[in-house]
Amino acid sequence: MKLAIAGLTACSGCQLTLLNCEDELPELLARCELVYFPLAESGNVLEVQFDAALVEGAVSTPKDLELLFKLRNASTHLVAYGTCALFGGVAAMNNGLNTRQELLQSVFGTGGCLPESFAPAPLANFVSVDAAVTGCPPEKHEIVEMVAALAAGTLPPARHYPVCTECRSRENLCLLLEKRQLCLGPVVQGGCNARCPATGIVCEGCRGPVREANVAQELELLLERGFGKDEIERRMSRFKPEWDYGQRR
Amino acid sequence: MGSVVEIAPLTRLEGHGRVRVYREGCRVERVELQLVDSPRLFEALLLDKSFAEVPEIICRICALCSTVHKVTALLAVEDAFGVEVSEVTALTRDLMLQAGMIQDHALHLYCLVLPDLLGVRGVAELARVAPELLKTGLAVKKAGNDILETAGGRLIHPVNIRLGGLGRSLTSRELTRLKDGLLKVLPAVQEAHRLFSTPFPFPELPVPDFLALQPSDSPLEARLCRMGDGASFPLRDYRHHIEETVVGHSHAKLSRVQGKEATVGALARLNLNPDLEPGAGALFASHKRELVGKDMRGNNVAQAIEMCHATERALHLIDRLTELGPRREEPVAPTVRAATGCAACEAPRGVLIHSYSFDAQGICTTADVITPTALNQGALARDLLALARGMEGEETSRMTTALERLIRCYDPCISCSVHVLPL
Repeated sequence: MKLAIAGLTACSGCQLTLLNCEDELPELLARCELVYFPLAESGNVLEVQFDAALVEGAVSTPKDLELLFKLRNASTHLVAYGTCALFGGVAAMNNGLNTRQELLQSVFGTGGCLPESFAPAPLANFVSVDAAVTGCPPEKHEIVEMVAALAAGTLPPARHYPVCTECRSRENLCLLLEKRQLCLGPVVQGGCNARCPATGIVCEGCRGPVREANVAQELELLLERGFGKDEIERRMSRFKPEWDYGQRR
Repeated sequence: MGSVVEIAPLTRLEGHGRVRVYREGCRVERVELQLVDSPRLFEALLLDKSFAEVPEIICRICALCSTVHKVTALLAVEDAFGVEVSEVTALTRDLMLQAGMIQDHALHLYCLVLPDLLGVRGVAELARVAPELLKTGLAVKKAGNDILETAGGRLIHPVNIRLGGLGRSLTSRELTRLKDGLLKVLPAVQEAHRLFSTPFPFPELPVPDFLALQPSDSPLEARLCRMGDGASFPLRDYRHHIEETVVGHSHAKLSRVQGKEATVGALARLNLNPDLEPGAGALFASHKRELVGKDMRGNNVAQAIEMCHATERALHLIDRLTELGPRREEPVAPTVRAATGCAACEAPRGVLIHSYSFDAQGICTTADVITPTALNQGALARDLLALARGMEGEETSRMTTALERLIRCYDPCISCSVHVLPL
């Protein structure tokens, strides 16, 4: 299987997660040919047909877009790899609050030397996406599962249950109901085995919305517990700028 | 006639960058280092966010160093609000920084540098050409990663270390398992320096102006920055000593420290603070001649020595944590007030500074992060030019290969270098 692994606007954490599968890596490397993977390989080639491209990061510059189009055209399967690729991620958190120009000037000054950049957006806003691995960063087992499935010419099943499902089955204390903390577990995609609540930390929502999330109800619940609407929305938008809050809005 | 040689994209390093060499005949006119990662504008994103959110968000600046970013951010927020953490918390953070050093140096050395030494293009070919060596490297990396995952609750962007305390402390069983993991790779870690002291096939470079943190009693409370010429300045005044300018061809700003192009990282630390654990100290003694007062070509062997130091130190920290035993501690609550906090840690690649100001409600009003790669950028550009000039007349491919290898000596991490506020 010819594989491309690329990073757009991101921290490289998703690509690194693949390299962090130390036990599985030798076998994964034996099963795929990494034709394009600048993070860990030299002599990369883009002008071939790939079986799959794993693309990390949001799209926020003309260069990102150019690379994304090239990979889409060259790959049978294009996988949105991680929360930024899927939802925009942390770089997109202020999309609804500030213009890109304001943010750029706040960092680079008003001297006129600004990099070209637009509001970070998910891959699916620009190209068709065949599959996704969510998470900031993704879980190792999910990425191994994806690469293994791609190598077998198929795609892994998608998960559609919230973090709460796994949290309850681990019999953790419920941080939302029992400790009255701002936990996003009910509306966030599971698959992480409730990693954070298991250490006593609220779910910060890094895996994005679960399908059919009851966002209005979560908002209601948190408002009832005394959290401010601004605080809740700020927390919800940490990894995905726009949520559908339903009629509550 | 003038010509331009471009190395794009730079490979086997984190983030996006390229190098352009401008030549007139075979004479090298200038070299441009372009760190062109997409701007993520973290300092701007943090404004108007609550102090509690700052460390959670800022650790996403970089995956490789997310632990040290998180710890530094926590220390800066705690500095602002006068929070003092317990010994268990401080030791756990320190343990995670050592683990970060182990896994980061192992990844860099075995996965990104080793292909140069063996003449292959990357990890995939390594797996075919030198499977045992790659497995050794991955095992070392895994021992570090296991600590990060267990103590941090997550390997990248850790959650268990938090403001004023820990989500939960490590159990005796976990500590024993982590210790066994480290002991298993200790022999490999002690041998690594042999592999990475292979001489470089390119000429000498200018001697760097080193910059490192002066350790205090607790390694997480560094308050002084030191330079090689004996000059030093308090961390709190860093804005007066580190000057930053926007460069047209790069998204990262150029930092100058007291007017100099400073070099930070493993080599700088060994030159300025060679206070090492016994095993690493012996290795350092045997390599002193290649390292003390020498150029950046020695950085990879310095990293190998540090990998050994971090392993030994992590073992001591685990012993101390085992002695203290697991305990349930409530995190220390911060006294929220209008304040500015500042902290610095030695990240695997060198000095990392975080500084935040908050209003009376604890809302972030200014954020400033100075990363090792931003600090190293000037020295790297200088060395690239010196190397390109030193290789004038050589075959172009030999020169570009050497330039890429030099860049890997610096182990730059471009994704986090591109976020610096104007001062």
